[in-house]
Amino acid sequence: MQRIVVDAMGGDHAPEQIVAGAAEASLALPDAEIILVGDAEVIGATLPRLRHDGSRVRVHHAGQVVDMDEKPAEALAAKPDASIVVAAALVAAGEGDALVSAGNTGASVLACARTWKLIPGVRRAALASVYPTELRRGEKNDPFSLILDVGATIDASADDLVTFAIMGAAYATLISRNRRPRVALLSNGTEAAKGPAAVVEAHQILLAATELNFIGNVEGLDIPRGVADVIVCNGFVGNVVLKMLEGVSETVVRLARYAHKEKLAWRIGLMALSSALTQLKSVTDWQQYGGAPLLGLDHPFIKAHGRSNAHAITNAIKVAAKAASGDLCGHIARGLADLSNRRASAAL
Amino acid sequence: MKPASRHVFRWDLDKTYLRTEFDSFGDLVKSAIETAADKQAYPGATALLRTLSTGDGYRVCIVSGSPTQMRTVLAAKLALDGVAYDEFVLKDNLRNILRGRFRALRAQIPYKLPALLSSRCNAAPAPAETLFGDDAEADAIVYCLYADLVAGVVEVETLERILHSARAYPDEVSRTLDFARRVPRGDVVRRIIIHLDRRSPPMGFRKYGPRLVPVFNYFQAALVLYADGVLDARQLLFVAFEMLDSGQYRLATLANSLQDLMRRNRLGADTVLRLAAEVSAQTVGGVLAARPDLPPFDAIARAFTDRVRELRGAPPPPWPTETAALDYVALVDQEHDSRRDRRRRGAD
Repeated sequence: MQRIVVDAMGGDHAPEQIVAGAAEASLALPDAEIILVGDAEVIGATLPRLRHDGSRVRVHHAGQVVDMDEKPAEALAAKPDASIVVAAALVAAGEGDALVSAGNTGASVLACARTWKLIPGVRRAALASVYPTELRRGEKNDPFSLILDVGATIDASADDLVTFAIMGAAYATLISRNRRPRVALLSNGTEAAKGPAAVVEAHQILLAATELNFIGNVEGLDIPRGVADVIVCNGFVGNVVLKMLEGVSETVVRLARYAHKEKLAWRIGLMALSSALTQLKSVTDWQQYGGAPLLGLDHPFIKAHGRSNAHAITNAIKVAAKAASGDLCGHIARGLADLSNRRASAAL
Repeated sequence: MKPASRHVFRWDLDKTYLRTEFDSFGDLVKSAIETAADKQAYPGATALLRTLSTGDGYRVCIVSGSPTQMRTVLAAKLALDGVAYDEFVLKDNLRNILRGRFRALRAQIPYKLPALLSSRCNAAPAPAETLFGDDAEADAIVYCLYADLVAGVVEVETLERILHSARAYPDEVSRTLDFARRVPRGDVVRRIIIHLDRRSPPMGFRKYGPRLVPVFNYFQAALVLYADGVLDARQLLFVAFEMLDSGQYRLATLANSLQDLMRRNRLGADTVLRLAAEVSAQTVGGVLAARPDLPPFDAIARAFTDRVRELRGAPPPPWPTETAALDYVALVDQEHDSRRDRRRRGAD
């Protein structure tokens, strides 16, 4: 049985939507226990209004909440009984197998980093995110590629990038059921010698010392095409790329709205495309994917979007349960041990 | 007249004791051709019913909407489970078909209410009754109406209006009214337990007052009966162990079930702590001596007290302490409408 700890108070729509997502997950996952951490009085008043399985939901009271706009380090110091702190501590104490939160990203990552251990061989954790692509992948025909790191490690060394590649590949293999994900480094050219020193060095290590399906370097324009299933970069680049891709998506929507208002012919054209656009939206809906995993720590943590509704939270819990039952952290540890052995052999 | 009993337990069968599907025509056919050995009781239900059927001064009366033609197989199933009963009433649907009374085939109130009243009229009246039903049909309404009729809260004139609202045939109305006039009075229905087979939100049953407790499983039913003084700790453990044996429950899910009742203000922390102390004091003997695979008593007690501790005294949401007068005509109309909606959606 997977025990998924959920920060019930984190997120723009907490606790109602978080509790609703957990309630739905209690019915959808027959072999999981959902541990809701937060204000027990509020959760206790919300749960009975929802369809759920009372035997699969447990409530652990936490009296404080880290708000979405608080500074992470200061908030954690001031609020030792915050739901995310208590939730991370429960997992660290062996009371849970994985954590889901839609709350303050910095505080969530910090709470996990402070209470959990790094997997042997991991120097820095990485936050991964998904992006909808033209090409699909894996047994699930997944339309999302994985980009990591998107902000946890601003300046990554070559070894960090290689570690990220191994962690991302392990995640894609398990969650997207993609047996041999294509892994690439994000750079300013496809040639092996292009890019900063860390990227060039990581390229050499990935080719020489791993058995990953490493396809080399890719450029920014390859991300939405879906050329690679796992795209590796440092947290600074990843965060800029992710925000830019989000900005482009929002601009496209705004342009479509402008076109809808501006000309009748354009409006008719958009109406003709509406069913296809709806289909496209459902296929690439981030809420289907659940959330962004924090990789490198000894327990899975799924960071759901701050705007997550109940459906997104249910999916995040499903992903967390899958990561826990599939022993994601064990896969990463074995991949890193293999890398270490290969590099040691090569050095002899 | 049969000898007087201390406590009468009235049970429904389908979806209360037996895991029966009758949402589609195929389900009905499957249910009709199943053998006694094929029929499955809900985990814990057999242990609970067997405990009640062997209790000194306890009387078990089964009133089911299954057709009389299934008596042999249902009786065989109860015999296989080692369940003894004092009364077993089934619905004569063949007679309804032959008389062209198709409305009566699905009718709940016009069938079940006179059956319950008749049972109380024909035996020496017991000072206490506990009723078991489910959320699939109108059990909550029928049981509350029966309780209020016997207590004299609902007048016979009001009952006539309710029966008309429930679309009862004229002879059913006069028969039910006759029983209602003759039934021995007394505020005897101590508890109504509704098994949430459809996982309906428990809050939906709040209007029925504190007497009715919706339960997700039979451990919760046993906990309620323990709090009521009907079962002792050892009898409750037999229910728990049958559920653990089923493989569908673990100690954690039983403890979660306990916490769920606490959060719904249906079980006090003091009762749980008393139970934990009594469980700790149990010694392995008799049937349990041969069961080293079951959790030790102190582990069970600890799991229970942990769930109390995790709530950290958070007050449960207010639950009515007295049963307000129910508008049964409106409830029957609502139930009729919701059943029609379910049928339209293909769920009934």
